[in-house]
Amino acid sequence: MIYEVFARKSRGEPLKHIGNLNAPDVELAKVYAFNTYDEERWFDMYVAPREALAEVFTEDRGEPVEAG
Amino acid sequence: MTDATELGADAEAAVRDLILVLADTKRLLGYRYAEWMLGAPELETGIACSSMAQDEWGHARLLYALMKGFDEDPEALEHAREPAEYRSMEVLDASAGTWPEAVALMALADVAVTTQFEALRSSSYDPIRQRVEKVVEEERFHAAHGAAWFQRLAEGTDASRSALRDAVSDLLPPVLAWFGPDSERAGVLEEAGVAIETGSALRSAFLERVSDRLARVGVEPEDPFFDGFDEARRRGPGGPDEETIRRIRGDRNRAFLMD
Repeated sequence: MIYEVFARKSRGEPLKHIGNLNAPDVELAKVYAFNTYDEERWFDMYVAPREALAEVFTEDRGEPVEAG
Repeated sequence: MTDATELGADAEAAVRDLILVLADTKRLLGYRYAEWMLGAPELETGIACSSMAQDEWGHARLLYALMKGFDEDPEALEHAREPAEYRSMEVLDASAGTWPEAVALMALADVAVTTQFEALRSSSYDPIRQRVEKVVEEERFHAAHGAAWFQRLAEGTDASRSALRDAVSDLLPPVLAWFGPDSERAGVLEEAGVAIETGSALRSAFLERVSDRLARVGVEPEDPFFDGFDEARRRGPGGPDEETIRRIRGDRNRAFLMD
């Protein structure tokens, strides 16, 4: 299952999406996130299964992106 | 207290032994984690193993540095000892051959070491007490990683469960023995206020922590035997294999230090 990883540098700052990872369950997802995204000093960090993110809207119409 | 001599001769010797046991065990454990940076079942767990290896080596460094308080040279301890002089936990002598064996190490041996550290949280010997919290805090994620993988293998296939059960039954007796007997030496550590618990009390604390996972693979703990057990090394005779020690001492390329 793919988990999306969110973190912020300081209290009050908005959560930022910082990446994703593969994990079979939320416990391992937490450990993997902690170990994988450790280059920066975070204030807090969260994981959420990708499928838990509900799309509100997207500008993406699935059209091919022009090269250039 | 900050000066080891204030502990009195018996306690001073016991604390010195304990620190060296923990330092060597952390060093070997780090090496065993490092062996799974490549070849673990998924990329993410390889990254976790690499990170845990760094933690364990960091803890070992910190502990070797404490040996200065006992007039020992950390440099000599880290680079000039033979395998039989190491005091690392017996189950770390050889590499884990399979992933279930590695998981048993993580879920039992690493937890046993942390259980020992927690008994030093309110230690009367300041240099230990001041370092315990950092170690215990970093170990939270090691414990979570070990527990999650243990559960995954235990609930996986018949093959993964039985491989894990075999690994656990091999590993458990020496890990239980590692806490040592309720000896005079152990009593000295408690009386001096260095450790809040030793021997069988620590063993019980550890068993309480891992009882669920032992039950999950159907392994019953048994009272340890202490035949041939060397209390100063917290293990039986022998030590890690030569090649492991050569690698952790960094023999092959020490000449390039050029200090």
